[in-house]
Amino acid sequence: MAEKVTAYRFDRIDETLSQLNREDCAIIAGGTDVMVLHKSRRGVPPKFSKPIVFIDHLSELKQVYQTDKDLHIGACCTYTELLEHPLIPTPIKSAIKTIAAPAIRNRGTVGGNICNASPAGDMLPLLYVYNAKVLLRSVNGDRFVAISDFIQGPRRIQRLHNEIVTEIILPSVLEEGTHVIFEKVGNRNADAIAKVSFAGFMRINKERIEDIRFAFGAVGPTMIRSREIEKKLVGKTLPLADAEIDTIVAEFDKIIRPIDDQRSTAVYRKTVALNLLRYFLSLKQ
Amino acid sequence: MKLNDISTSVPKKDHKGKVSGQLPYISDVKVENMVYGVLYRSPIAYGKISTIQLPNLPAGYEVVGSEQIPGPNYVKIIKEDQPIFASEWVNYIGEPILMLVGKELNTLYRLLNEVKIEFEEHQAIYTLEDAIYRKSESGVTMASYEFGESLEIISAIEHGAHQIIEEEYDTGYQEHVYLEPQGMLALYKDDEIIVQGSMQCLYYIKNALLSALACGEDEVRVIQSATGGGFGGKEEYPSMMACHVAVAARAVKKSVMLVYDRSEDMVVTTKRHPAKINYRTSLDKDGNILSMCVDLFLDAGANEGLSSVVLQRALLNSAGVYKIPHFHAKGFVLKTNTVPNGAFRGFGAPQSFAGIESHIGHLSKQAKIDPLEYKRKYLVKQGDPTITKGNFRDPVLMEEMIEDLLYSSDYKKKKEDFQRFNQQNQRYKKGMGTSLFLHGCGFTGSGERDHIKATVKLVKTKNDHVSLKISNSDMGQGILTTLCKIVAKELDISYEQVFYPDPDTKEVPDSGPTVASRTTMIVGKLLERAARKLKTQWLSGVEQEVEEHYIHREMIPWNEKTFTGDAYPAYSWGVNFVEVEVDTLTGNVRLEKVYANYEVGKVIDERIMKGQIDGGLAQGLAYGYLEKMTSKQGKIQQKSISDYGPPTSLDVVPIDSKVFDNPYTDGPYGAKGAGELTLIGGAPAVQSAIENALQTSFQQIPITPEVIINSLWTKEGEEG
Ligand SMILES: Cc1cc2nc3c(=O)[nH]c(=O)nc-3n(C[C@H](O)[C@H](O)[C@H](O)COP(=O)(O)OP(=O)(O)OC[C@H]3O[C@@H](n4cnc5c(N)ncnc54)[C@H](O)[C@@H]3O)c2cc1C
Repeated sequence: MAEKVTAYRFDRIDETLSQLNREDCAIIAGGTDVMVLHKSRRGVPPKFSKPIVFIDHLSELKQVYQTDKDLHIGACCTYTELLEHPLIPTPIKSAIKTIAAPAIRNRGTVGGNICNASPAGDMLPLLYVYNAKVLLRSVNGDRFVAISDFIQGPRRIQRLHNEIVTEIILPSVLEEGTHVIFEKVGNRNADAIAKVSFAGFMRINKERIEDIRFAFGAVGPTMIRSREIEKKLVGKTLPLADAEIDTIVAEFDKIIRPIDDQRSTAVYRKTVALNLLRYFLSLKQ
Repeated sequence: MKLNDISTSVPKKDHKGKVSGQLPYISDVKVENMVYGVLYRSPIAYGKISTIQLPNLPAGYEVVGSEQIPGPNYVKIIKEDQPIFASEWVNYIGEPILMLVGKELNTLYRLLNEVKIEFEEHQAIYTLEDAIYRKSESGVTMASYEFGESLEIISAIEHGAHQIIEEEYDTGYQEHVYLEPQGMLALYKDDEIIVQGSMQCLYYIKNALLSALACGEDEVRVIQSATGGGFGGKEEYPSMMACHVAVAARAVKKSVMLVYDRSEDMVVTTKRHPAKINYRTSLDKDGNILSMCVDLFLDAGANEGLSSVVLQRALLNSAGVYKIPHFHAKGFVLKTNTVPNGAFRGFGAPQSFAGIESHIGHLSKQAKIDPLEYKRKYLVKQGDPTITKGNFRDPVLMEEMIEDLLYSSDYKKKKEDFQRFNQQNQRYKKGMGTSLFLHGCGFTGSGERDHIKATVKLVKTKNDHVSLKISNSDMGQGILTTLCKIVAKELDISYEQVFYPDPDTKEVPDSGPTVASRTTMIVGKLLERAARKLKTQWLSGVEQEVEEHYIHREMIPWNEKTFTGDAYPAYSWGVNFVEVEVDTLTGNVRLEKVYANYEVGKVIDERIMKGQIDGGLAQGLAYGYLEKMTSKQGKIQQKSISDYGPPTSLDVVPIDSKVFDNPYTDGPYGAKGAGELTLIGGAPAVQSAIENALQTSFQQIPITPEVIINSLWTKEGEEG
């Protein structure tokens, strides 16, 4: 017989938070990572060692709104909902279109993608270059954490067991004048896990780089971003000289250390990551 | 519904059950007194079992192994080299050693973890290269054939040649990825074991069971259940599973169900043979071919299975659709300690066609001639000899089919446009490639006459319903529909009056396996003749039965020893044009357009044929650039569909296809085989398109982004 699992599905977020405060639970949003992670062999239900708490129906976690130039995205918004929302920036929408296939996009959430903290999570490179902040809530109140601090390694996040991620905030994302791209390299065009991914962000003022950011996915334990390298480009004029591009590529060459696995090779991942970087830096704005 | 033109599509017989989701597959079945089986598999690639330690089994849980097999411990296929349960030596990771049976899968999985087996490990052969190196050691070469022009003559020609080109070509694994993983159920009765499941070949299974159970004809019975795809993966593999469940059912006196989950299926079931093919071709100063030698090596995996027959077809197709002067070929099936390879749509031909199309394409570059133009110089015509001194005796429409595609694809202009595009675009490069191919229909040589000896039966009831009694499986390819159409049309009765119940060996004669593109052509022809006979005897309101037996077409007799004669009674033909765009930063290949012309005699149902074309091409194209499976130290690395990467609907583009009529007298309404043909041209066309885009050559498939990036990167390195 299947073992019993306790499951909670409260109508309100405060009840959910109280329960989480009382008891360590496994949070399920869309469940598209959780169910795979807890999968058993054929014919046997998934196994959970903790009680389950469902949060995907909580309306507080499904809002998308703007304050000043900042964009707030509810953690439990599904990909499909974000695709249909007018406030969501185009680069995020194009990234979403590379994720899974429609059925999974109807369930999967952005909060789940962050909390799953996979090196190949497809929302992450863009969230890194947008300097996204994660809003966590517990019975003790709210706190903000930068995404790069929140994600600490594969499946490792800075969340206390009584906290829920309620929002993802993209600061100043609705300002004009930035150029943002996302490229995902998978083994096929749908239902593929990234072998390499790249996000680039650039704000230019009269040919001069005001701000520039890069993030690489699936080439390390988590997203690779270097503010130090980025700083070297601030103030430079476009188009960049070949030597300047070579320097930046060489610096990333030193810090990108991918692995061989069943999906690709380290050499491939590195070559392609650097190719995409070089291409982004060479683009004539 | 009365059928006017046989090609006009009708609703498929299984349409409603499938689209409504009501049709039960074997894993949906539950019967009384049923237990599950799970297999303990070898964790090592090669070695000897030293000790087996079983956990304490709870009541109702039992273990089944080689001791419980009433007959000899091998799966009857061709050679006696594949144990049902390994009892002394293990030869690959995943080889079944024991089966645990009991009511709850959960408990079975736990018990499986508690089984402790110790082995004495031996040095395994993990790669085809290693096997080639050791091919003269005992047991490594499992089969070999050699034929064609004498090597003395070739040597003399090479001596006087302007140039000799040598190329080595590698092809990878391919996994079937049928939607429904393998599954088999043995129903236990006191006097009979009924084996039911997903399968292509009822009588292969029945014969394997007669041997394993050492029992009489009427003590076993095989029934096909709805089968969700086969592609050859359910040709010989299910025989082993059938032995597992039947032996277990006998031993525990209960019905036993064995169903694989996807990752188990991907890791332990048969795949397409990886191959290495060496070409040695002598040319004159204008780049014309003077002679060609082909050496072909197939990685059989741990046991021979059907590999020798796969090698035969690979060799028979080693010259492609070309008339090559002074041709010589040699081939080997080699053992490695890896998962056994087996039947897969095309059966050796896809490897050979990928290789020869690649090689001829590269020769055309030497001669500085457009590849298609160069290929046409050597294209076989009606009346030409085959490489085994047989004859292409039927009309060959390849020239018309090529001309048609040159026109509809606007080949010349496209190639020029692409060249311009490539000069302007740094990142993306477009290319156009072609492939020319054929497929021999039915069993090789005299197999149909000497081994298969197909028989079909038609049974008419009092209310004038007619049932097909044959042992062939519909696995999604549509024969439930097409074969009923043939019978309805011949009898001039409505299609709804003709039935094709799930084949059951108690009810149906052996009309042969559902393989080798033989079903429509061979079994369909027998049914057409049976229907004609029934029509002449037709008495309304009376039960009637007719039977027909295979008749061999007069040909040049096939000699398997000398590899001479007509290897096939007939051939189907194809031409593919493929346009791609390659991302030089990532190596990703995007299909842009696919054109396909085929000649299969006569189409029995247009929509079903289109299904074969689109599915076959998707699978064939993917074999060339997308699907990638690798084995490391004897272990398959890709255990999930997403890691392996078969094409999704976003990877395949609409396929512009056309089928040419060329009726064949010994096929029903002129039909020949179509199922395998459609896969064969995909990989070579995609390879030549990628080569055209990047202006480079590759010596392998699949041409993955990793291969492309590696080649672009090395080229730059050399320049620098
Ligand atoms: C077939 C398939 C294809 C996929 N393809 C892709 C792909 O292309 N790209 C990609 O990036 N991913 C892919 N995924 C993974 C997955 O769909 C995504 O990561 C998705 O965003 C997860 O969201 P979810 O809501 O389903 O998360 P869940 O599975 O519900 O949760 C994931 C983790 O986050 C925690 N969690 C979720 N929400 C919160 C919250 N608000 N607060 C605190 N903790 C929380 C959960 O406890 C769990 O640990 C795929 C998955 C499948 C099954």
